[in-house]
Parts: sequence; structure tokens; C-alpha cells
Amino acid sequence: MNEPTPLPLEVRGLRKAHRGRPRVSDVSFSVRPGRVVGLLGPNGAGKTTTIRLLLGLVSRDGGDALVLGAPYRELVHPAQQVGVVLDAGGLHPARTGRQHLAIAALRAGVGADRVAAVLAEVGMSQDADRRAGTYSLGMRQRIAIAAALLGEPHLLVLDEPANGLDPAGMHWLRQRLRAFAAGGGAVLVSSHLLSDIQEIADDVIVITEGRVVAETTMAAVLADHTGTLEGYYLEVTGTEGVVR
Amino acid sequence: MFRAEILGLVTTTATKVAAAVALLGLVLTQLVFVVLLPALATGQVGPGAEALGDDLPVVDLTAAATQLDALSPLGTTLGGGSIGLALVAIVLLGVLAGTSDDRHGGIVGAVLASPRRSRVVMAKAAAVGAGAAAVGIVLAIVSLLTLVGSLALTATPFTAATGAVVATSARGVLAITCLAVVGLAVGILCRSQLTGVLVMIGALVAEPIVAAVAQLVGGGAAASWTQFLPVSLAQSVIHGGAGTVSGGVAIAALLALTAVALVAASIALSRRDV
Repeated sequence: MNEPTPLPLEVRGLRKAHRGRPRVSDVSFSVRPGRVVGLLGPNGAGKTTTIRLLLGLVSRDGGDALVLGAPYRELVHPAQQVGVVLDAGGLHPARTGRQHLAIAALRAGVGADRVAAVLAEVGMSQDADRRAGTYSLGMRQRIAIAAALLGEPHLLVLDEPANGLDPAGMHWLRQRLRAFAAGGGAVLVSSHLLSDIQEIADDVIVITEGRVVAETTMAAVLADHTGTLEGYYLEVTGTEGVVR
Repeated sequence: MFRAEILGLVTTTATKVAAAVALLGLVLTQLVFVVLLPALATGQVGPGAEALGDDLPVVDLTAAATQLDALSPLGTTLGGGSIGLALVAIVLLGVLAGTSDDRHGGIVGAVLASPRRSRVVMAKAAAVGAGAAAVGIVLAIVSLLTLVGSLALTATPFTAATGAVVATSARGVLAITCLAVVGLAVGILCRSQLTGVLVMIGALVAEPIVAAVAQLVGGGAAASWTQFLPVSLAQSVIHGGAGTVSGGVAIAALLALTAVALVAASIALSRRDV
């Protein structure tokens, strides 16, 4: 009998406190193949901490996070299985975009030919030999997305990937993520851009104050809440009329 | 991972600047040792040896031992236990390599690609070690050329044996490699570039002071433990031993110090949130 295929991402009871104050409390959710999951929440809700926890970048106080059936730290070739965008990629200002990707390719154990391919895909071929210190935020974000795609992963974990992207870039990103999911890949994407999430996400998870307050499908959200994700979000987060 | 770290090293300005400063510092130090001091002694420059008295270090470049001393790729210490510019630059090359990823966020990409973080540290150490060894070889060649050139100008015979020259240069490259890797480990431990630089320069500057204080406290005799401080160890390695520490013991101690620093850096990175 075949082993069941592990979920791309399964988070169970994840907990993390910082100086006695809970940042993430009993967070559980999963991301299935072929789905784009939007991770939403107000500033400081715990979205980025959750992402860092499941990637093993931050030690957890409790709970489990399984990426393709194993804790991230136990993956053999993680960069060939999971593509990650955090903090606009951590580019060294003295390196060019191409050099940054060449280093990432060597770390990921993928061929150098992938560098040119992903540069073309994110529309950075012409600026690839400029130093990253001269890049705009959007260009840095494109290089970060290119780095995430280098290893042709099965799962994408993206923290605010649309930051700084121009309208054409955002359009490309939406199309790319939908195509990625249509090809069987799984995506966890955190964003404040509810309209974008509404367009691309199949499922929605909402976190406030470190807790999951809603986990549902986009279809259910749109059916029940005046046809917009924004109405649903404001209701479940209790932030309607609140300026943060 | 090693190739990635090598590429990371050669594509940063700090590495090139540190290597250039090391080279410049070495050339300046060697010129003082093999050109200026002999010229001061003969009176070609300055008031002459008699007028300078004990202030002028005695440098007999006809002696094989002096010629070997001049071959140190870290620059000669003139017997005074001072630290040279080349030494500072080599150590800072390691520190900057260790802090660069933290400063610019690249450490996240590194540990995502290699979640077993000790491998990241080992790959960085191998890359910094290889880079420092390459710089060390250049420094050793420059040191030799400076000495040979200055000897030729004064028609002084080259009396050091070829084997001893090769051995001194090789030990010099080893010392440079270890010091750069120690710098890397300190950089990883400190995370902050400024902190790492200050800690390392502070340690280098403090060493001769600590040794002098220990000597005073000991009634004028050099304390044996001060010979195991990093700079003293490196000089002992280069010169094949010093005081009660033999060359072999010095090499073993410097390698052990490097290994301990790397293990500490690995543990720190493995336990740290990035």
C-alpha cells in the first residue's frame, strides 16, 4: 500500500512567545496542493512570525510545522522544494542581481542556466548586471521572487511579495501564482492587499493577535460577505472603522 | 555551499579592500624593516646610528634569521610585539565576511538553503580560509620580492636557505588562514559589523598590553600562557616557535583555537533566530 502523499504544508498548534508575550498562539492550518492560501491579518498579528516559525528560522515554543511531510530543517534539498520570499530577499548592495541569483543557485544546487531563466521570467534580464544598491524596492522584490523560483519548488511561501511592485509586476505575480497552483504547486502568501488576495487565493486564513480567527475558502467568503474579501476581513478582525 | 560562499566573498567590496589594505600594510612594514632601518643604521637617512643610540633597532640583514624574520607575510613585529596593518586587515577580512550576511539579510537565504546551520558556518570557514590563503600566498610572494629587491640594492647576499624560506612562507599562509577564520567566527558570534570589528581590534590591541602586564606581575619573566594568545601564536607559527613554545605546539594550538572559535560560531548560529 502506498504511503499517503504529505501535505505541502501542515501547521499544528504552533506557539511562540517573546519576552513572555505571546506572538503566535496555537496556530494551526494547512495548505493543500494546487491551492493558493492567503494569510491575512493586521500589522503585528503574527503572520511573519508564523512564516518564520514554519521555515525554522525562529525557534518555536510548541507545536509542529511540517513542510512536505517533514520539519523544514530536515528537508534534504529545501531550496528545490520550497521557494521563499522574505524581506525583499536580503540583497547585498554591492552585488548585482545576477550575482545574487548565482549565489542562490549554487546554494540551492541548481544549474546556472536557471539564473537567466528566472531573470527573464521576472523581467529583470536588462537590469541584472546593475548593483542591487541601485535597485528600487520593486526591482529588489522581483529578484527575491526570482530566487524563490530558482529551484522549481513545489511550495511557495511568500511574505508580502507584492511590496513595491508596479501594476504590471503585480499583474504578472497574480498570473504566475495562479499558474503555479494550476500546475499542482501550493502557495502560502501573506499580504495586506486584499484585492489581490481576493483575485488569487483559494483559501483564506486570518490571524489576529497571534491566533487564527478564521480559516475558510474564498468561495465561502465571497458568497457570504457582500462579495468582497474586505468586508469579511474587517468583520473577523474586528477592525472596521479602526485605524491602526 | 562552498562555491556559493566563495562567490559571495569575491563579490563584496569589503574583501577586496581588506586584501588591498593587507598588501599595502605589508609593503609599508617590510620597507621600513628592510630599507629604512638599514638606511638609518648607516646614516644614509637621519642622524646615524650613534645619535639614535638604543632607539634604533638592530637589523642585520646579512643574517639568515633576520632575512627569515623579514619574510613574515604578516609583517615583521620588529621584536616589539606590536600588531601590523596586514594582521588587522586579515582579521577584519574574516570579521566582515562573518557579519556581511547578517547586515544585509543574506543569512536568511543561506540557512533556508542549508537548514543545518553548522554546514553554513563550515562552508563560510572553508571559503574564508581559501580566500585568506590566496591572500596569504600573495603576501608571502610580495614579502619575498621586497626582501630580495632591497638586498639586491645594497648588494647584501641572500643567506637564508631555500627550504627555510619556503617553510616560513607556508607557515605564514597557515597563520593568515587561521586568523581570518577566527575573525569570521567572531563576526558570526557578534552579528553586528561594528561590534565584530571593535571586539577584534580590541583583542589585537589588548594582547601586547596583557602580555606586558603579565610580565610585570611575574617579576620580569614572560608568562608562558601569553604565548598562546592569538597574535603571539601566529608569530610563533610563522617563525617556527618562540620562547618555550615549539613550532609544532604553536601550529596545534592555533588550529585548536580556530576550531574552538568555529564550534562556538556554529552553536551560536544554530541556536539563534534569524
